[in-house]
Amino acid sequence: MKTVRLLTPANALARAAWLAALGALLTGCAATKVKPWDRDLLAQKKMQLVTHPMVNAIDEHIYFSKEGSTGGGDVGGGGCGCN
Amino acid sequence: MQLGPTGPATIRGKLGAAACMLLASVAPAVARADPSGAVTQVDGTLLLYGEQSRTKVAEPTVRVTRLQPSGRSLSGQVVLDVMTGATPTGAMPPGVVDSTAALPPDEAPRVQTMTAASGGGGGGGSEHVPGPGDIPLAQFHDTRVALDAEWHEPITNIFGSTLGGYYSREKDYESVGASGKLSLDFLHKLTTLTLGGGVNRDHVFPSGGTPLPLSDGTVLHDERNAKDVTSALVGLSRVITRRWLISVNGSRTYEDGYLTEPYKVVSLIDPATGYTTGQITEGRPSTRQRTDVMTTMVYHFTSDVLHLSHRYYWDDWGVRSNTIDLKLRHDTGDSSFLQPHLRYYNQSQADFFTFGLVQGEPVPTYATSDYRLGPLSTATVGLTYGFHVPEQPGEFTIRAEYILQFGKGHPDTAMGVQQDFDLMPPVNIGSLVAGYSVAF
Amino acid sequence: MAAPTPFPRPADGSFVERGDGCLVGRFKAMASPCEVLVDTDDPHEAALALRTAETEAQRIEAKFSRYRPDNIVHKINHAGGEPVAVDAETAQLLDFAASCYEMSGGLFDITSGALRRAWTFDGGTRVPEPRALRNLLEHIGWDKVRWDGAAIAMPEGMEIDLGGFGKEYAVDRAAALVRAEVPRAILVNFGGDLVASGPKRDGRLWSVGIEDPDHPGTSALYRIEIETGGIATSGDARRFVLWGGKRLGHILNPRTGWPVEGGPRSVTVLASTCLEAGTLATLAQLAGRGARAFLEAQGARYWTV
Repeated sequence: MKTVRLLTPANALARAAWLAALGALLTGCAATKVKPWDRDLLAQKKMQLVTHPMVNAIDEHIYFSKEGSTGGGDVGGGGCGCN
Repeated sequence: MQLGPTGPATIRGKLGAAACMLLASVAPAVARADPSGAVTQVDGTLLLYGEQSRTKVAEPTVRVTRLQPSGRSLSGQVVLDVMTGATPTGAMPPGVVDSTAALPPDEAPRVQTMTAASGGGGGGGSEHVPGPGDIPLAQFHDTRVALDAEWHEPITNIFGSTLGGYYSREKDYESVGASGKLSLDFLHKLTTLTLGGGVNRDHVFPSGGTPLPLSDGTVLHDERNAKDVTSALVGLSRVITRRWLISVNGSRTYEDGYLTEPYKVVSLIDPATGYTTGQITEGRPSTRQRTDVMTTMVYHFTSDVLHLSHRYYWDDWGVRSNTIDLKLRHDTGDSSFLQPHLRYYNQSQADFFTFGLVQGEPVPTYATSDYRLGPLSTATVGLTYGFHVPEQPGEFTIRAEYILQFGKGHPDTAMGVQQDFDLMPPVNIGSLVAGYSVAF
Repeated sequence: MAAPTPFPRPADGSFVERGDGCLVGRFKAMASPCEVLVDTDDPHEAALALRTAETEAQRIEAKFSRYRPDNIVHKINHAGGEPVAVDAETAQLLDFAASCYEMSGGLFDITSGALRRAWTFDGGTRVPEPRALRNLLEHIGWDKVRWDGAAIAMPEGMEIDLGGFGKEYAVDRAAALVRAEVPRAILVNFGGDLVASGPKRDGRLWSVGIEDPDHPGTSALYRIEIETGGIATSGDARRFVLWGGKRLGHILNPRTGWPVEGGPRSVTVLASTCLEAGTLATLAQLAGRGARAFLEAQGARYWTV
């Protein structure tokens, strides 16, 4: 019998963070305060959502082979016989 | 260059920053375009991966990207994936030491097969006979080649499009795929909406034939089993403040076709003793719908950058999972950095996952003992070091990671001697990735 | 799946594959390639048919093969003159053998197996010494056997060999068992002896080719289309001896110890069961030059080469 505990500590924390992020995203009230000349930090490569795409792809492949979940990043890429 | 929140920045400063931002957003993860011409970027990585007593992989990758001043880019990638070692078959620990039930020998020619039956280590021999409490493993080796191409075209300065093609081939699996993505920047380019989709047509042609699911292993020869995968992605990313970026994306994938693992088995056990009495092939449904929602945030502290993400996943096989990933990038000099990494993953088992079936009871419609659909957790800790060699072009990165995978190996339903065994023993995994990137 | 391991499937080399509008289960038994054709798209039905046929073929081979040291045939052949009681199935086969002996005027004789020791039908030119043959012939002859329907006794030194119709019998038995398990049109073929039971889903007939004896294993000389019935071929395609420029088949005359001469190189008979077809084909070959006349007289459908 499968029991899924959705309110485990990790989950509760994650949920809270997720809701906060979503709130920030959707309200967008802060966004207009960022002027084009404030984009110095954002322009850096290390501020990209994915800083090292090839290493990221390696990780996705490793975890795809070892676990039962997929997704979270991108479409594209392809299948392999490892899961 | 200081841009204080109070003092007025110089025009030149503002312009410089705006130019940086524009160029960076047009060509993600590629070196800044040299205004005088196209840029070629070459990235190479080598992965060395090893699970204790199990699978070992060496995987070199090379990617070449050509970026035009217009922002258009074309890239091609080749991956070679060399895998050897041993992997669990899905069978339970036998409960008794049985030298006639030794590990199957190395892979056989297609028509004449052999089992672990009489003769014990005969015919090539196996390296060790599993003890009564050991998870049975099977040896394998295979090489996979994957080719990837991607074309990115900015349509206007707020629209970007990407098209990708993929092909991979290994001894018993072939995958062909295409994908497309559209991104739209709005609200002064502080918000990006991304829509993407992909299709894959895979074929599975197991060595020796395709075993019939949930059977004694009778095989169907010459089958190229098809598997279609369709996926769609929606993403929204938003600059919250000068230091803080958030992205939420959701994707849904639909798989249709041959989704069973042809080499995996489900043990049959004697309920009185817990000894395994035999095994049948596993069988999974022919469709699977998978959904995930991932939230990522990037935050720039005074000098360090934090990447934090959470992914929630669920599918119609009953698997649910949470993944938390944390990276903190710390620059240690002009051109070097350290980045520790933590990841934690937890999943619930698939509806038809079972450690084993009772001999004599009716066989369910679907059953698998593949630990990857079982109740498992993964914890990762790693460190990346990136650096430039002075006076030389290109960036080097080296990453070492330790992964521990463990599961709930003492289910309440264990019978007899199986109660004494860990049915999902922890696996220690180490990986090393060396990378080099250069643009010219 | 990055794990192309030998899967713990049945170790006998059996498998299912797609045929022409049907699924075919293949395995080896009775020293022959065996196949079960099932008019279905469901591999599970084909696998069940395969297992059923294979189990029955192995059972019959184990029970009646003269090469096994532990079955009823071995017991009978080493009884030292004493009577041996047999079960119902063995009794039926012995009754059948007895009636074949009568029908053929003594040419079809299951005690003539010993003659095989004198001959090697490997395509070479070796023939046995006359004295050796005379010695063997003294231990041959169904008339020397006492069979009363329940127990069989024969003089020491004699032996029976059911190989003359064992395969055809196994084909019919296997087909009956498969039909009971799988509600489909099937065709069971053990090394060229077959039985079909239709009709197929699309109404088409089973298509059977008669092998060209000069090119065994490759081309067919005739094509037969049947819905139901047994087909067996008796001939020299694979087992023969060359002597004096002539090709001698492997059907031996139990009176002379020599291969029957003048018969067609290959006889194929269609009858309602494989056993009947195989027996008629063998009897025809034993008739030598009179093969065709014999078959005509029996009113059998046949093809000769």
